[in-house]
Amino acid sequence: MKGLSSENLAIGYDRILIDQICLSVKEGEILTLIGPNGCGKSTLLKTLTGQLKKKGGVIFLGEENRENIGIKETAKMMSMVTTERIHPELMTCAEVVEAGRYPYTGNLGILSEEDTKKVRLAMEMTNTLDLANRDFMTLSDGQKQRILLAKAICQEPEILILDEPTSYLDIRYKIEILMQIKKLAKEQNMAVIMSLHELEIAMRISDYVVALGDGKILGTGRVEEIFKEEFIRKLYGIEGEDISLIGTVPWMEETKSGDAKNFSDSGKEAVSADCSKPEAKPEKEMNLPKETKRPKVIMIQGTMSNAGKSIIAAGLCRIFTNDGYRVAPFKSQNMALNSYVTEDGKEMGRAQVVQAECCKRKPDVNMNPILLKPTGVTGSQVIVGGKVQGNMSAGEYFRQKTSYIPAIMEAFETLSGDADIIVVEGAGSPVEMNLKKDDIVNMGLAKLLDASVLLVGDIDRGGIFAQLLGTLDLLDEEERKRVKGLIVNKFRGDKSLFDSGVEFLKERGKTDVLGVVPYMQLEIDDEDSLAEKLGQSKLNQNCKIDVSVIRLPYISNFTDFYPFAQLPEVSLRFVNRPDEIGNTDLLILPGSKNTIHDLKWLKTHGFDALIRNKKEEGCVILGICGGFQMLGESVWDPDHVESSQSDSETGLGLLAMKTVLGKEKKQVLFEGNIKGAADELELLKGISVNGYEIHMGETLATGDITEFTSGQTGYYSGNVYGTYVHGLFDSREVLKGFALALAKKKNVELEIDEVLDYADYREAQYEALSANLRESLDMEKIYKILGLKT
Amino acid sequence: MNKKRVAIAFVILCILLLVLVVLNLCMGSVFLAPKAVFEAFHAGDPDALNLVIIRDIRLPRILAAVILGGALGLSGYLLQTFFNNPIVGPFVLGISSGAKLAVAIALIGLLSAGVHISQGGMILSAFTGALIAMGFVLLLSLKVKNPSILVVCGIMIGYICSAVTDFVVTFADDSNIVNLHNWSMGSFSGVNLKDVRIMAIVVFVCLVFVFFLSKPIGAYRLGEAYAANMGVHVKALRVALILTSSLLAGCVTAFAGPISFVGIAIPHLVKSLCKTSSPRIMIPACFLGGSVITLFCDGIARTVFAPTELSVSSVTAVFLVPVVIVMMLKKKTKSGVA
Repeated sequence: MKGLSSENLAIGYDRILIDQICLSVKEGEILTLIGPNGCGKSTLLKTLTGQLKKKGGVIFLGEENRENIGIKETAKMMSMVTTERIHPELMTCAEVVEAGRYPYTGNLGILSEEDTKKVRLAMEMTNTLDLANRDFMTLSDGQKQRILLAKAICQEPEILILDEPTSYLDIRYKIEILMQIKKLAKEQNMAVIMSLHELEIAMRISDYVVALGDGKILGTGRVEEIFKEEFIRKLYGIEGEDISLIGTVPWMEETKSGDAKNFSDSGKEAVSADCSKPEAKPEKEMNLPKETKRPKVIMIQGTMSNAGKSIIAAGLCRIFTNDGYRVAPFKSQNMALNSYVTEDGKEMGRAQVVQAECCKRKPDVNMNPILLKPTGVTGSQVIVGGKVQGNMSAGEYFRQKTSYIPAIMEAFETLSGDADIIVVEGAGSPVEMNLKKDDIVNMGLAKLLDASVLLVGDIDRGGIFAQLLGTLDLLDEEERKRVKGLIVNKFRGDKSLFDSGVEFLKERGKTDVLGVVPYMQLEIDDEDSLAEKLGQSKLNQNCKIDVSVIRLPYISNFTDFYPFAQLPEVSLRFVNRPDEIGNTDLLILPGSKNTIHDLKWLKTHGFDALIRNKKEEGCVILGICGGFQMLGESVWDPDHVESSQSDSETGLGLLAMKTVLGKEKKQVLFEGNIKGAADELELLKGISVNGYEIHMGETLATGDITEFTSGQTGYYSGNVYGTYVHGLFDSREVLKGFALALAKKKNVELEIDEVLDYADYREAQYEALSANLRESLDMEKIYKILGLKT
Repeated sequence: MNKKRVAIAFVILCILLLVLVVLNLCMGSVFLAPKAVFEAFHAGDPDALNLVIIRDIRLPRILAAVILGGALGLSGYLLQTFFNNPIVGPFVLGISSGAKLAVAIALIGLLSAGVHISQGGMILSAFTGALIAMGFVLLLSLKVKNPSILVVCGIMIGYICSAVTDFVVTFADDSNIVNLHNWSMGSFSGVNLKDVRIMAIVVFVCLVFVFFLSKPIGAYRLGEAYAANMGVHVKALRVALILTSSLLAGCVTAFAGPISFVGIAIPHLVKSLCKTSSPRIMIPACFLGGSVITLFCDGIARTVFAPTELSVSSVTAVFLVPVVIVMMLKKKTKSGVA
């Protein structure tokens, strides 16, 4: 990534003026600093350029710490135009611009032909060629500014820093220079950071805005989040004052979007229009251009993890969709091992996939811009916009999470273009007081998106009153105002018994209770491996066929096995200890986020011997992805992708193959079939399979093994099968085939009348869910909260 | 930058220098026609009077004036660059006075202790004095940003140094003072070829070194902030500038005593002559310009009232003070700087 970012930067002259500054500008983006005089804009810019020593924190140019970059290299990456007036004696404009080539020329600073060309180009861009031979000191301020900009351009920076580039300029030069700056960002792909006093201009030219004031950063975000009249008035200390002198400006609430629109050029304009209140009168709304209509945003937050946020959100998505709205789910950040790969190869959380399916739209990575996949006790792999950014410790992530706000907002904006309602899901509890600062998942996000919040409590785990009322109590006043309703989830038994509870909640919480949702047995993808599902480990005596999945510590994609839930005569268990396995019919080694670690775990917990015994006994053994890799002879990790200690780990040796882990992650959808299988499983042969692959590493056959899934994605040998393909059981034929084959092997009869493709099965589940919610929730009120019904 | 104009300026300076060298060879208490000079060199008689006059007296003096004059011009240019201020020079900032004080202490102190001080020792003490005075100015420049006040401070430092020098002189033996007095008048008389060799080495090394600084100096013209942003190691450059200019000024003061105004005026004269401030041009041009003016003034100093000699400083002051005043007036009306 090119561009500039800062982490916990502290700035100031003698003492710290502002600290904890986290900024990020990427190539092609314009970030504008606004704020009253003396708020530290220039100080910040000077610190970024290195004129002032920083008081703490880190500045990154690209991905490199600025301190580790030499002064010459820095000069090639970053150039600036400051407010300082310079007085070079007897220098022509051409000479001033030529100075920009400094980092590129030799010891005596003599320009090559190439350099001269670049100087010319820069002057052409800034319309200053005719000034080339003029003495710099004889120029007007506007001309000087353009020459300095030309100088900065011909330094060929990736990052351009401008301190009030429009000061001293009349309106014509102002427009000219800002158009040039915009061009530089958009066409030359520079990252631009500048300070501006003209708010209207800042609104139109910026991608992101940072508002400084009062010794701290008062706001960071996209234009539409910052330019609200109330905020601007507060920022500049003109609350309640008469500002009619400056006329009508786009950030004033009274301004109708139409006025703002007239001024804007392209691209950003929806932004200025966004500042008009969404609750415009209906007839007015009709006149507005379509893209300016903002979707209604409702956010589901929970009192704790697994309170049922995902499910409620999914159900609401389906209800809204069934009622004819265009709906999209959104969750800024997911912490889950169990990721989904979209068609374009990007990773996102499962819960939003389910919700997308409830909205009847394709899963889109914008629905879940940040995905954290735990890789160890405190570390996570950070995936932003579907792309892996690297591993970070929890602390590291926490410190720089505000720098992801732009990515979150961008994703949200993309979704907004095509939705009437966006259902946002929070994460964990909104009142984790130690983590609340700079929150970007719960109330912080609600503020950014201006969302109404519904709070869900889990009565099944007890303490519902404390959960809901305690959460409300810990919210600050502004946050509490956002909470428009409470939902009691997972209620078992007769609802009327809880009527008095509802009254109490209403009274004490001073908030409406929107409904009591019964405990639902639904087979819907759960958010993460903490889900209750994994609790089941006991053998179900009533079932004819038993499927056991080893509960690896870093298990991933465990939803691969959920389709079994459709078969009442087949039990699915997740086992933690070898002795829990018993007489199982199918032993599955699931995917793992850390194959080597989990392989060691298998060995230290005595699973390895047991698996070999099971093989001898004739039990069918199936490895999927990481589990597949473990079945081989060895797993190599030369680049230390998964383990920092060991280079390789001996596998279980059940399949003659070896795996080499690499840094490259393979993420593709799989379309193929089952090429071969032995004995009873032979009936699976030829069944087509639609799934997906997601793994880091390649597996090569080293001996006598036969292809299982096509395209060398899986192998088998005897009764041991392995494949990279996830979602194997999603197709009903595979599911049914496996069940029947296992039954045949065991010599039992299965009554399988109707098995659905897992997709159809889920569809049925979603409908059941939405019907259930519609019954228990007061949908009228929810629509009122959204402002869609009066 | 007009290349033709620069070329013409260099040609003019070279011609002037040549003419002045010839004139200085010829003129003096004994007038020698150019032809006589030429013949003296070719006669081959090492003890012929004319040759002795030319070889042992006039030529070393001319060379010293050329080298030290150039050094003054260059030192002035570097200081003006450093302070980004057109009215500073080694003399104005008290550097010369500091050097003089150090030399005075060394001369009187060592002579009374019976030690003869060598030329190297003179340079060293002058350089030390120059650096100390410069150090004071630098300290002040940290606090005082207004250039005019800085100049005033420099002058004050000069006065303090002079006062201390007077104090030292007052309590010294008369015999020890004579040398110092002659020296402090500022004069190129009594320079021999051995001295010339030393000064040539010091000054030319500095000249070459400075020339290789012309790239960062060029960038420094846009101000410290921009220079740093373009990749100049500003601190290193400033240290280099201050050390070289002190060394140059110290060298001049050690050999010829304090010579005023050359350092301030030359960069301006040269700039208006070449109509550019590009250091690649300014560095050699200031050197040449300094040589020309100093040689010219020295010629006047020793011929106008011959056989009595004037101090070079008096002559340079007469010719160059008007230049400085005009320049300051021009600046004031033009941009309000200085």
